[in-house]
Amino acid sequence: MKKKTHADDLISFGLNKGQRALSEYESKQLLRLYDIPVTREELSHSADEAVSIAEDLGFPVVLKACSPELMHKSDRGGIELNLRSEGDVREAYGRIIQGIDLELDGVLVQEMVLGQRELVLGLNRDSQFGPCVMLGIGGIMTEVFQDTVFRMAPFDMIEAKDMTEELRFKAILGAFRGQKPVDMDVLCRTLITVGQIGLELEAVSELDINPMIITPEGRAVAADALVVLRRDAT
Amino acid sequence: MMDSIEASPLYPIANPKSIALFGASNNASSMGTSLLDSILDLGYEGEIYPIHLKENQVQNLKAYRTVLDLPKAPDLALIVLPTRLVSETMDACGRKGIKHAIVISGGFKEVGGNGIKLEKDLVAVAKKYGMRFLGPNCIGVANPRQKLNTTFMTFEGGPGFIGMASQSGSFVTQMFTYLSDYGLGFSTAFSVGNEANIDIVDCMEYLGACPETKVIALYIEGIRKGRAFVEMARSIVPKKPIVAFYIGGSEAGSRAGLSHTGALAGPDRLYEGIFRQSGIIRARSIMEMFDYCWSLGSLPKSMGRRVLIQTHSGGPGAEAADACGRVGLELPPLSPETIKRIRPLVPQTGSISNPVDFTFAKNVTDYFSEVPKALLEEKNADCLLFYFFTPSRRLTRMLRQAGVSPDRIAEHTAKLVNFQSEEILRLIKTHDKSFVGYTFQGVTDPLLKRLVERGVPIFTGPERAARAIEATYRYTCLRDKILASASQKEAASR
Repeated sequence: MKKKTHADDLISFGLNKGQRALSEYESKQLLRLYDIPVTREELSHSADEAVSIAEDLGFPVVLKACSPELMHKSDRGGIELNLRSEGDVREAYGRIIQGIDLELDGVLVQEMVLGQRELVLGLNRDSQFGPCVMLGIGGIMTEVFQDTVFRMAPFDMIEAKDMTEELRFKAILGAFRGQKPVDMDVLCRTLITVGQIGLELEAVSELDINPMIITPEGRAVAADALVVLRRDAT
Repeated sequence: MMDSIEASPLYPIANPKSIALFGASNNASSMGTSLLDSILDLGYEGEIYPIHLKENQVQNLKAYRTVLDLPKAPDLALIVLPTRLVSETMDACGRKGIKHAIVISGGFKEVGGNGIKLEKDLVAVAKKYGMRFLGPNCIGVANPRQKLNTTFMTFEGGPGFIGMASQSGSFVTQMFTYLSDYGLGFSTAFSVGNEANIDIVDCMEYLGACPETKVIALYIEGIRKGRAFVEMARSIVPKKPIVAFYIGGSEAGSRAGLSHTGALAGPDRLYEGIFRQSGIIRARSIMEMFDYCWSLGSLPKSMGRRVLIQTHSGGPGAEAADACGRVGLELPPLSPETIKRIRPLVPQTGSISNPVDFTFAKNVTDYFSEVPKALLEEKNADCLLFYFFTPSRRLTRMLRQAGVSPDRIAEHTAKLVNFQSEEILRLIKTHDKSFVGYTFQGVTDPLLKRLVERGVPIFTGPERAARAIEATYRYTCLRDKILASASQKEAASR
């Protein structure tokens, strides 16, 4: 239960600061505690620091404005993709700081995960069914395709596999234009874990992993995440 | 799961040996009177005790002033009184020692306001005496084998294998004749009303244990005890199929979450997943729900998706092939052995592939015996989808042309119909593959009527047939999924 204790600490920390949600950085720390594969990333507080992190991670990188108040970053110019050099990082850092009139926790420097296939995974609480897990076609087209399936938590690997079978566009999980099929084991385990988070952490009211990128090698990595908090739960 | 069906609180409700009835009088226009009339009309064989403040006799039955005057505590109280009188009546029943009730009366939670309080009071009274009850705001139960029909609608038809629990009373009563036309009927049907005490999950448990129920039908507007619902369904599905029709309501603005997940979690999508997780087959309409009940209750319990089509007309065969393809059924090619067997029976103009198209039969009987036999024995297929077009006037003409004298045509027609139906029934009985018919004729046609009465599913049009076949395949997959999950769990716990 060590991970639950750590997760509770993360959540209390956010709640004590009056947050409605965890920032992307905090959300992913929570996911990492539960062994969900997430992008490698560090929070920077200056352009110099961003460059140094980027060099450690290896180019290209992504820079993102990081704040619990920023729930849908791409709509607000808070994301700079595919930065290939020190110069790119410095410029992007400047644009983010200039562009967002919000106090930031910092600027997140993140490995750039390449992959054309994007999924959305999520947790929702239903008044009758309790924590329910969603899987869908993700990325910016999530609301366009509306290809999503739900299960009540908890469920097992067989049920998780059945969720993937229920997607209309399930073909993208298989071998696709020279890309390998998704690591089904990791995907299914992640679905189960999202449900487990819902069952263990009362204070998490909703959770989004969007996108979960599938790399050409079939690796699934959470590239963005949002944990929405329930203030009355603690 | 319960040890036996008698352990269910619904057992005395669906199989009472005696009933105290509140609300019936000699006033023909009252709902209670109409309800008593329905009970008597179906020939209920248990004791009925009408309770009436003034009358000595209600519809020729001895009436009692109060429930406390009854010679013994009956199995069931049936209450059709004005809302304000219901709680005190339940209390009197409790004092008398009655343990089960159906509250037909409305005016409770469903109307809001004071109704919510009245329902709470009712629940508290039942709790005080350890009583279990169905309703309020329901129409009760129909159990035709026990000749029990507590709904105010007349029961028509016979008993069948569909066990139903419905959040609308209309889909119990107003389906009686519809089902009867197709040789179908209810084993037991419950209208659950407000589910203040007994709920739809209890009904599922009862129907799961009910030996006359081969398939369970649910009409759902909203599931209240979500977790119990899923668990109950998963415990039943390995033994019998469950079909549900759910009214999803509007997706728009159903949730206002901060996340994508919250925004996308409209009730319809959520229920879609919940049904699949529960192993429940979801139908798109009430009629489709009963189509599915028909195929699931009549066909072998394990089925693949490979379908052979037999027709004697190109168009109807092509439409059937198209309909099968659309729902994900497969049309396998015939094996060389089968081709060899049926080649001599199919005319030159016909087609020996899948669909097998006769165009016309050299010998009418081949269409109903040798060919379907060969197709039911085809190792590459799981199901035979069979086209029926047997207008009786055409038969009459054929017999006339064959030189049968006019006064013997009726007799010969009957003989032929008898032969054809017996052949089909014998084939179904002696083969373990699925046989499903489709037709554009009504089931009033003599041959079709005979087959349908004997339990052969024959659907109007191939689309309904194909969807009903697909439902049996889907059931097989869902059941196997749940069984695999259970055995994995068992292996892990060892």
